Amino acid sequence: MTISFDPTEHDHVGKPLPVRDAREKVSGRLRYANDLALAGMVHGALVRSPHAHAKVLRVDATEALALPGVVGVLTHEDTPRTVWDGCWFNYRGPALDGHARFAGDEVAAVAATTPEIARAAAALIRVEYEVLPAVLTAEAAGATGAEPVRDEGNLREPYVAEWGDLAAGEAEADHILHAVIDHPSQQMATIGRNACLADWEGDRVTVWTGSQTPSELKTGLAMALDIPQSKVRVQALPTGSSFGQWWSNNFMMITALLARKIGRPVKIELSNAECFATVKRRHKELSTGRIGVTEDGRITFLEIDHVMDNGGYGFKNDVGFFCVDNWGRAESGRCTVRAASTNLVTAGCMRGVGDVTLGNCVERLCDMAAERLGLDPVEFRLSHQLRTGEPLRHIMGHDVPEVAQARSDSKAFRAKVPADWPEPFVLSSGSTAEILREGAAAFGWDQRFVGWGKPNHCDGEIRRAVGVGTGIHCCGVELEGGTAATVRVNPDGSVKLHASVGRHGSGAETTQVQVAAEALGVTWDMIEMETGDTDSCPWSHGSIASNTMYRTGFATVSAAKDAKRQILEVAARNLFNCDPDDLDIRQNLVHRRTRPDNERYTIAEVLNAVRSDALGQFSTVIGRPTEAMPPSTTFARHFAAHFVEVEADVGTGEIRLLDYLACQDSGTVVNPHVLMNQVIGGAICGAGFALHEELHFHPETGAVMNDGFLDYKVLRSADFPARTQVIFGNSHDSVGPYGARGAGEAPIAAPVPAICQAVFNAIGCWVDLPMTPERVIAALDRLGHTPH
Amino acid sequence: MRLTLNRRETELTPAPLERLSDTLRAQGLTGVRVSCSEGECGSCTVLIDGRPVTSCLMLAAQAEGTSVETIECDDPATAALQQAFIEEQGFQCGFCTAGFILTARAFLARTPDPSEDEVREALSGSICRCGAYPFITRAVLKAAASLRGAA
Repeated sequence: MTISFDPTEHDHVGKPLPVRDAREKVSGRLRYANDLALAGMVHGALVRSPHAHAKVLRVDATEALALPGVVGVLTHEDTPRTVWDGCWFNYRGPALDGHARFAGDEVAAVAATTPEIARAAAALIRVEYEVLPAVLTAEAAGATGAEPVRDEGNLREPYVAEWGDLAAGEAEADHILHAVIDHPSQQMATIGRNACLADWEGDRVTVWTGSQTPSELKTGLAMALDIPQSKVRVQALPTGSSFGQWWSNNFMMITALLARKIGRPVKIELSNAECFATVKRRHKELSTGRIGVTEDGRITFLEIDHVMDNGGYGFKNDVGFFCVDNWGRAESGRCTVRAASTNLVTAGCMRGVGDVTLGNCVERLCDMAAERLGLDPVEFRLSHQLRTGEPLRHIMGHDVPEVAQARSDSKAFRAKVPADWPEPFVLSSGSTAEILREGAAAFGWDQRFVGWGKPNHCDGEIRRAVGVGTGIHCCGVELEGGTAATVRVNPDGSVKLHASVGRHGSGAETTQVQVAAEALGVTWDMIEMETGDTDSCPWSHGSIASNTMYRTGFATVSAAKDAKRQILEVAARNLFNCDPDDLDIRQNLVHRRTRPDNERYTIAEVLNAVRSDALGQFSTVIGRPTEAMPPSTTFARHFAAHFVEVEADVGTGEIRLLDYLACQDSGTVVNPHVLMNQVIGGAICGAGFALHEELHFHPETGAVMNDGFLDYKVLRSADFPARTQVIFGNSHDSVGPYGARGAGEAPIAAPVPAICQAVFNAIGCWVDLPMTPERVIAALDRLGHTPH
Repeated sequence: MRLTLNRRETELTPAPLERLSDTLRAQGLTGVRVSCSEGECGSCTVLIDGRPVTSCLMLAAQAEGTSVETIECDDPATAALQQAFIEEQGFQCGFCTAGFILTARAFLARTPDPSEDEVREALSGSICRCGAYPFITRAVLKAAASLRGAA
């Protein structure tokens, strides 16, 4: 593979620069939403339904309003009937409509002078309910005569990806294997609870809250409040950990409505239990699959039926299943995703959505096939996983004109895009191949894998074995379009990048500045970034779907290049008397390309020269994206290959992780430190899902029973191996900024199949998720004998 | 009540059942981060007479007469840890960071030359949901070395 990227050519890209807000983070001075207060502010508390499903008949706030310190109450009767939509159908519903769709759903809100009075008042609000039959599983939601959770009905349109001739594939198979995997619901289990503050000035509102998606939140607020987007300003703040939890959430809509009703600024801070039980979670997902293989190792078909629950307000009909692309060399396939509304807390996109669960099922089927054929799991992946330039199987947006046109007339498409951009509908760059090979060599896979279902070490009740798993995810979704950024160069030569991204720890506020500084030619100290103010940042999808580096980064670089072009035009005309193309900027200095050390001006000197420029230039340069990505046809993915050694105690059922190697192909690495952290963080959260994490729902009310860290266990520092390594692949993407793609989600998908496989190799059987000691013992009991 | 707060004699008047974390945050000490409120996550850790305590589980009144230190307190060991956390990027979202640094400071005061496994065990009372653990461990080992060098 040619490496077309040389980090020594760059001043910023590829450098392990410290993150921009590092000092604020280590000193405790970073401001999260719950640190903020406004003059004249009051505090809100939410009244929540105790029932899984109920109509509100009457709200009596008499007692609450009589409590000293109470300022006002908001019910569904004060709330516009407009429905607000969360990004990618993560939420659809009115802010309050007198219909409780899960235990914990908001039915009213109260404001008071202190949080304590507000909570006491919330408990005094009497709500009369008509209790409705509850639908607590996706299966029940689809049953004949099931109570409708929503007006639109309980079932979404099935989402299907198909390729090849499935019947022929089935006929040709020598072996057909089946798997059923019940994936529990994972909680984002965020550290740092969110708050929301809203303040109205006339008919305009400003909202401060932690959000990964400032622009989407502005859109949602305008819908929920039934006002134009121009009257909504969001000041998005750092979230604490998020993983998809803090996009736009209903409590934010209620905060703004309550503030409008009472005419004072309001702050609502959620408790930890509210964060766990009332906002969002990963879907519960049941994957059923079949795979067919021939004796000589061909995959003739792959078939998955995947059922997910949306909870009360999720409205998705698919989960991301880029895993199907990853195994896209299978000769035929069909993947069907079916989604149902239930009376459980809303489910939505948690980090790695779909590729953690459905992806685990695909990897399981392929592992079962490899085991049946006695093939090495690394080799089996190398044989069957998609490579750069090969056709993808999961094409979204067939009905979008641009997609249809690129399909029917690829020459017209090629004529519109730069010559080095990839063909449409194929994997644009990278794959698992390089990281699997390098990872296997570094891990010593050939020595440590001693065969399927065989530990490499036995001592009493201890069994040790290794496993490998791969993960994939998108780099933003092709149909989102529209993400923009602006680069403003001040008269003193300092620069401000405005791009709406999340500050949830992914380092986007740092890596975006790196690519902007690189494209513009300024030094690290001359550039700052605004991420959260929707009055200054142009619309963007925010930091979701691993899109920030690939898509926002593309817009950022394009805006920086536009600013640079304007500076060079002024310099060429006023100072150099030459063609702008003969000039360049590096280290804040404008110079001739051919004689960089000869005649040089600072950007400030160039912009001061504008004053005598009669051609209508301004002394603040505003760069905006002048190129757009093809929104529907360029398919970038990022990849993970993880290698793990586990130790299983067949007496106690305990699983320990001993050694971990995470390999990542995200194209060019813009900041190795940031990317390593993303990769390991994903591995740890994925390992938690494999081993411990599971929300429990009350059998009658559906309420989340383990709504805190006492009962919901996540991995801690001693639970993850001291021996942990990261390896980066060397691919280069011709569209992404400086060759970079997305990063954050494949790393949470790979650990689940890797750890499942390692446990299988240690104890000789597959274990249900999460693989707690009880489930390990249950699996051994089903096996009926002590292995080995 | 009187106490020593970040090495200054201080008089505070908390409500009878107020949690220490709330009292400290009301003093503008935003480095006292409250997340779980049940002593499980460690974000609100402060040092009471040098020992790490989850301030969400302690009544403010119990701190009377003690020396309370938060991340805002000027201290050479805190400074060394902060620098090492920056260099090793021992955080992502930053919410848990102050709690980890103060826990590590108390640990290094007792164990100036720890092994990697000792650090991993010592920090297991705190949760970093972002999963920066290996980088946190490296940062603590690096700070320990620099503090030993300075001693």
